[in-house]
Amino acid sequence: MILAQPPTELQPGFAATLLVILVSATFTENILLTRFLGMCPFLSISRQLKSAVGMGLAVVFVTTCTCFLNATLYWYVLEPLKAYHIPAESLKLILFIVVIAAFVQLMEMLIERISIGLYFALGIFLPLITVNCAILGASLFMINKDLHGLSALVYGFGAGLGWMIAIVLMAGIRQRLKRSKVPAALEGPGITLIIAGIMAMAFVIFQGMIKL
Amino acid sequence: MTELWVILISAGLVLGISAAFAALLLVAERYLANYGQCVIDVNRGSRRLEVRGGETLLSTLMGRQIFIPSACGGKGTCAYCKVKVLEGAGTVAPTEQPLLTAEDVANNVRISCQVKVRNDMAIEIPGNLLNVKQYTGAVERIRDLTHDIKELRIKLTDPPTIEFVPGQYVQLMAPAYKGSPEAVYRAYSIASPPHDAGYVELIIRRVPGGTCTTWVFEHLAEGDEVSFNGPYGEFRLSGTDAEMVWIAGGSGMAPFWSIVRHMKQAQIARKCTYFFGAVRKGDLFFTDELRQLDRELDWFTFVPALSAPAESDQWDGATGLITEVVGKGVSDAAAKEGYLCGSGGMIDAAVKTLKGKGMPEEKIYYDKFT
Amino acid sequence: MKRSPQLQFVVDRMGPGGVCREGFLGSDPRPLEEILDADNSTVAGMNRTHAQIAERLQTVMDVAIAAQGRGVSVGPHLEAGWHEAMGRIPSPWPGEGTFSKGEMELTDARTGRTVRVTPLAVHLIAAHGFYQGRGSRYRLEPDELAAMLGL
Repeated sequence: MILAQPPTELQPGFAATLLVILVSATFTENILLTRFLGMCPFLSISRQLKSAVGMGLAVVFVTTCTCFLNATLYWYVLEPLKAYHIPAESLKLILFIVVIAAFVQLMEMLIERISIGLYFALGIFLPLITVNCAILGASLFMINKDLHGLSALVYGFGAGLGWMIAIVLMAGIRQRLKRSKVPAALEGPGITLIIAGIMAMAFVIFQGMIKL
Repeated sequence: MTELWVILISAGLVLGISAAFAALLLVAERYLANYGQCVIDVNRGSRRLEVRGGETLLSTLMGRQIFIPSACGGKGTCAYCKVKVLEGAGTVAPTEQPLLTAEDVANNVRISCQVKVRNDMAIEIPGNLLNVKQYTGAVERIRDLTHDIKELRIKLTDPPTIEFVPGQYVQLMAPAYKGSPEAVYRAYSIASPPHDAGYVELIIRRVPGGTCTTWVFEHLAEGDEVSFNGPYGEFRLSGTDAEMVWIAGGSGMAPFWSIVRHMKQAQIARKCTYFFGAVRKGDLFFTDELRQLDRELDWFTFVPALSAPAESDQWDGATGLITEVVGKGVSDAAAKEGYLCGSGGMIDAAVKTLKGKGMPEEKIYYDKFT
Repeated sequence: MKRSPQLQFVVDRMGPGGVCREGFLGSDPRPLEEILDADNSTVAGMNRTHAQIAERLQTVMDVAIAAQGRGVSVGPHLEAGWHEAMGRIPSPWPGEGTFSKGEMELTDARTGRTVRVTPLAVHLIAAHGFYQGRGSRYRLEPDELAAMLGL
């Protein structure tokens, strides 16, 4: 594990490391298609391309920011407390949720204030995100992978991007699906889950390409 | 002992961090959701309102006693509260899009209950809306006119009198009641004449499942307090002395019931024929009163007509669709004016009939229900 | 299952007090998506389209409206009557404008069954294949409706 010590930005090869983190978070460990997290909005909001993109962008934004915030909280507050026998591993679950919820609330207010256009495009998805397990999952995986600072930020971005790619692909497929005959029993979530399974198999080929 | 400390510190940590975020959110709300003092310019300088931002345009204007017609009470469903916003409205919200036509968008027309006042704004509203007031009164009388039409007579308390042009309407507020979680407003023409200034009469026909009419028919009782705002509307007699043809059906009676009594009082002896259509005799009302006026006033003729009288009705008056009766009863309409109030189907057919009789379209005035 | 905010907006507006007092879903326990899917398969099973049903209803309604409240025969066994009501009602779906209130009562003389159809209901069938929830005043069973209309 090269990343055990937080690398500084001056280190040669740091940019390459970040790229590895990004690609691995986006593709090889696609949070949706390899971990099956965030399935709920993936199934219900992938009917239309436009809302899929909106939801995807909102997820990218929130994972990026919350991963960074949670990394800071964990490594600078919780980790040092381990020395005093504080169960940081258990506390992080509660605290990460608090951070995510507060951040989403804050962003909703901020976006409404800054740009009404952006608020209507993105803001309406934000309340849905607070309870999205992919967001919490990204933060927890990030801690498992021992990522700090900028690496955490890039990991969050990659995880969000991977989720967005998956939902946008699915929306594209479902838009075409509207014009094809689907057996009545499989209409709606049924066929969507089957498609998700096939997509997940396609993502298996990325496995082993890079290991983080 | 250490375990207790661990638990206490952990709990303190979680609580502390949560509290810190809660405080942060409160501070953010204090500053981010506070839009401060805003100035609304009405009709290019004719009025200037200094208001606190953050509320919707509709409720902000209401707070300043400017009543924009609105039926749904600001839920963004009825699309009546359209206002031309020249400046400061921002992007059209997804909740407005359904209710705006392409023409509206091009003309900067917005749904005022969905637009928040966030900065200085300039709006344009019909001038007579500035005269609209909020009234409260007590129901003095409710009576059945037919099986599904009621007359409501309201004694005004605050303000004690109302000034309006016969033909105008008010918006009655149906408060929240069981089965209807929020207050709604519905428009009804004033049926009483303006010289009866301490009262307002409304003629209300029951709408199946209707929010306001269900309240009037099932919950409202004599003595109850009601509130409404008005007057609104452009339906009124023209300034000419041309002979008139009035056509109405159902609760479309209301404006004419006001106008004819006003004309009698003000001694406006302008020749007119009033055609009132119904299906059966039981759907007619005010027939005796109007026939009495017909006898008293040489300029006024009343023609009730039934489209499908029952045997038991023993009807010897005009029979047929009201448009057929008008077709037979009016010969040359080129120099006459038409005034219509009623359902969309009836009005469309009546306009066609009158045009067929040579009446110019711009001389046909109507108050369509739809 | 979660819905997109857009569809949730529609469902909220369909509830009691959203667009109208009684709402569009009646006492139907099924979510909107299921109601739509079920009626969709019924209509497809008859080899009909929503557009055909809506078009026929519109023709019948035009005749009923033109009769101005008088009952009128609109088919071999079909009686229609129009009840006028004031005002307009918006569609629960965004972007579709408002529709005049009032309802048509359609009675099949053979079965004695009566259904009520509004201009908004015709639009909802044509645009969304939505026949409203069971238990609602304006619920139309697609198969019964098609049989009444001779489709």
